[in-house]
Amino acid sequence: MKRTLVVRLFAGLLALAGAWVAYTQTPQGKQAPAQTKAPAPFNLIKIADDLYVIDGGGAGNVAVYITNEGVIMVDDKFEQHFDEIMANVKKVTNQPVKYILSTHYHADHSGGNTRWSSIAEIISTRNAHDGIVQHKQSNAPNDMIPARVTFTQETDLFLGGKEVRARYYGRGHTNGDAFVYFPALKVLHTGDMFTSATPLIDYPGGGSLLEWPKTLDSVMGDKSLDFDTVIPGHGPVSKKADLLTYRNNAQKMLTRVRSLVRQGKSQDDVAKVMTAEYKWAPDSLNMQWSLPGMMTELK
Amino acid sequence: MSRTLLVRLSAVAIALGCAWVAYTQAPQGKQDGKQQAKQPNNMISKVADDLYAIIGDGGNSTVYVTNEGVILVDDKFEYDGQDIVDKIKSVTNQPIKYVLNTHLHGDHTGSNVRFLPTAEIIATKNARDNMVKNKAPGVMRVVFTDETDIYLGSKEVRMKYYGRGHTNGDAVVYFPALRILASGDIGANNGPNVDYANGGSMKEWGATLDGVLKLDFDTVIPGHGPVAKRQYLIDYRDVATKLPATVISMVREGKSKDDIAKVFTMNGGLWANPNVVNKLDQIMAELKN
Repeated sequence: MKRTLVVRLFAGLLALAGAWVAYTQTPQGKQAPAQTKAPAPFNLIKIADDLYVIDGGGAGNVAVYITNEGVIMVDDKFEQHFDEIMANVKKVTNQPVKYILSTHYHADHSGGNTRWSSIAEIISTRNAHDGIVQHKQSNAPNDMIPARVTFTQETDLFLGGKEVRARYYGRGHTNGDAFVYFPALKVLHTGDMFTSATPLIDYPGGGSLLEWPKTLDSVMGDKSLDFDTVIPGHGPVSKKADLLTYRNNAQKMLTRVRSLVRQGKSQDDVAKVMTAEYKWAPDSLNMQWSLPGMMTELK
Repeated sequence: MSRTLLVRLSAVAIALGCAWVAYTQAPQGKQDGKQQAKQPNNMISKVADDLYAIIGDGGNSTVYVTNEGVILVDDKFEYDGQDIVDKIKSVTNQPIKYVLNTHLHGDHTGSNVRFLPTAEIIATKNARDNMVKNKAPGVMRVVFTDETDIYLGSKEVRMKYYGRGHTNGDAVVYFPALRILASGDIGANNGPNVDYANGGSMKEWGATLDGVLKLDFDTVIPGHGPVAKRQYLIDYRDVATKLPATVISMVREGKSKDDIAKVFTMNGGLWANPNVVNKLDQIMAELKN
């Protein structure tokens, strides 16, 4: 009996060593087209009991919620971040990742689906699913995998006695942005409806600057949402008041651009204002995805 | 074109025939889960390409086969679990990946306990809340409020909530490529069995079916009873819509409970179910408000 155990352990060690060699020799994942700068280092930040944020990699903030029946994650960054996300999750729990709630379809939030979909159930809005299937993000990889389970208004997850709610409140960054709420912890993950940058409106993906402040009003007016802490899509963990400030700034940007458009300014003129006042670089995604749509929407 | 149609119609007719035989041969008197014999008695029959109905014990199950796994609607009683697996094995080797529960009742969710470790079970939030409240086994991990869509093996299934009826958490499951609807018990042929303890409503049942009928389907797999055509659910909706008004006026005219009971049991047999008479006091109480 004891000898069998030793043999088994030895065999196990050999297998692990083999796996390690295979793992470390695997070529790294392809770089996302949008990434040019060196990616930010990964950080694992504790937000509350059993809730962590993984930032870094120049991709969306991942939330990690640990239960005694598995981990619920929010977003999974780019495909090439799979190993680093997994390593960070393993730092705080041995539980397997069971569910991933996607805030939206962009490759810096859902690109990891390609790796995670075989081991976790991925859930997104129906529109986020369609955005991936129809390849609405021009600079996304061609082989992105959408969620198998989608929802239109709300889906709730119950795992290990804990609850997480994902809800759609309307258009903004895209036409399929979900907010993920952790009721026991009073924490809200906003996806890219709130970031440390100015609003990036993905008009080809159904986004709308006109709707953006209204959608955030619906979030803040939802009496079933009682939250203090906000995890933005990108940037540092914030407070509810910061979300309100972001909403007001989005409204100011909307008002500013609308007045320019209604004065009959050309797209080039508006572009110059956006660069001067909002630091939108001439080759930025804002200029590519947002500006043409704003010119039409804000007439 | 017309030959294709004829072939399809014959296929449907045969499927309907099989379903009817399965249905009528199922042992009667099985309304109450507590009185169940432990021996499963089910038949699987093909309704369309890759879509089958398992009819017999408890609520009807629907089986949708994809090349990435099976989507199952409702899973009968707990003692039917192995038989459901066996029946599915007779048509595919694919594993059951998703189980969609149309509502909380044990004749539709009884085998959840068996499938929960290996499949994702999905229901409305209200159905789950009711199961938790009733301390029912096999409570699912994933719920939705309005609509959830499952995409598996290039196939799509839509699950939608349209409002109260049998309970306050009845979902219908729609197979758009096949124009087939699994109605759950808001379309069961033993209606209107209003479960007031779990949020059901006679008053809203018709309006709920109005919503369901906005879906584009030809075939209905009801929660109980044989596979039917769309017209079956239209007739069902019409009766459900007329009944409240009829009952309200009879109550106001001071008609006896027996007279009112006759209204339920005399509508072409559609509502001929002892549940109606048993629940008449509750139904009348709801409709008076």
